[in-house]
Amino acid sequence: MWMAIFRSTYGTRRLAIVLFALLLSVLFLLPSQIQMLLHYVGGPVGQVLGMPLAVFSAVERGLTELWDGYIALQHVREENKALWKEIEELKEQNSQLREAAAATQRLAALLEFKQKAAPQTLAAQVIGRDATNWYRAVLLNKGEADGVRPEMGVITPAGVVGRVVKTTNSSSVVLLITDPNNAVPGLIQRTRDEGIVEGTAEGGARLKYIPLLSTVRAGDRVVTSGLTGGFPRGLMIGVVTSIEKEEGALFQSAEILPEVDVSKLEEVLVITAPYGDADANVEGLLPSRSIAKGTP
Amino acid sequence: MKPVLYGAFLLTLVPMQATVLHHLSLGGVRPDLVLVSVCLIGFLRGELQGFLSGLLLGFAQDLLSAGDLWLNLVAKSGVGLLSGLVGHQVAHVTTGVVLAGLFIISCCSGLLFLLLTQTGDWAGAALAVRSVLLPQAVFDALVGAGAYWALEERVRNRWALAE
Repeated sequence: MWMAIFRSTYGTRRLAIVLFALLLSVLFLLPSQIQMLLHYVGGPVGQVLGMPLAVFSAVERGLTELWDGYIALQHVREENKALWKEIEELKEQNSQLREAAAATQRLAALLEFKQKAAPQTLAAQVIGRDATNWYRAVLLNKGEADGVRPEMGVITPAGVVGRVVKTTNSSSVVLLITDPNNAVPGLIQRTRDEGIVEGTAEGGARLKYIPLLSTVRAGDRVVTSGLTGGFPRGLMIGVVTSIEKEEGALFQSAEILPEVDVSKLEEVLVITAPYGDADANVEGLLPSRSIAKGTP
Repeated sequence: MKPVLYGAFLLTLVPMQATVLHHLSLGGVRPDLVLVSVCLIGFLRGELQGFLSGLLLGFAQDLLSAGDLWLNLVAKSGVGLLSGLVGHQVAHVTTGVVLAGLFIISCCSGLLFLLLTQTGDWAGAALAVRSVLLPQAVFDALVGAGAYWALEERVRNRWALAE
């Protein structure tokens, strides 16, 4: 009742309705142009948002660390952190060794060369979560200014986290592997069958489109296939927990327990070049264009 | 004054939504502070201000979300306009009315979002309604009603002092 005097008049109501209708019409009639315009406007707005975002994130991080350290005793927590880090590194090493062992059985010189090339990465800090409840995504403190671009893969030493879907100058949005809108090409390490790893509505992941004749079983490890996307081959995604084979279906699918606990992410690595400078080296091995031109 | 106020909302609400608010989440669902603010602005200050604030805050929210750049921009400006229109039809605004209004508007916004983003996975949509849409609507209604109650008390006290 007290606020009734602030309400607008009939004229402003009409203006608001007209503006909303105009917004919808422009969005439906010129979708790509509007996307471009919004992306252009998003640059400075993202920069403005970057500062309070960093402040809130720092305050949150500080308070969380203070609280956790106080409750769990500082030295125990530090030791635990170091051990977890070691476990993650060992898991990654283990995964890489298994992959390398499998790869040596199928030697193919150039392909093998690419598989062994280390990806170039950029360390980034997780500063927030998706601003809505509708996506499973995290915000990173690195953006276009640091060389981060959409479609780049994001990992931790334990395995795949997700891929970059949006960037501003100083931050980027990473869609997690557990989001149903995400799809990453995957490979069952033991059987070498390929499929697509998608997130599930329940917050897990599922490997889809596995051939019916595949002998996949619970406990099998799923790694990136490296066929498309911003990931090299052989990065750990997760472990198969159950198989779904429907009557009359063309493919089978498998539930996966992701290797990375995406609810506890703090630092991640953005893959800026999946195969390092392997492409440059391969080109270096080939005869140069000028020489090739001279040969019959 | 209004641009300063909306600028302050932009610089605090949206970053807060993306950072500290997940500590208040229940079952992974947080209240949508942007939706609550836009709804209250529309409800109390009219359609035009609701629409414009929704446009600004929705776009900022889009920048910090994985969805398309226009999704929240349309949803939140629509929410601002709708709550302004609803506000005109209510003779006596009370905390209860705000509670019910926010619940309904949050549900409408969520349904619109689902319709715009779903690709035929109706089982997934049903799960999203149960696990995200309804809990968020309850959360939004409680937070918004609480904010309105605090704001109303403040205005009432100021008026009492003036008299």
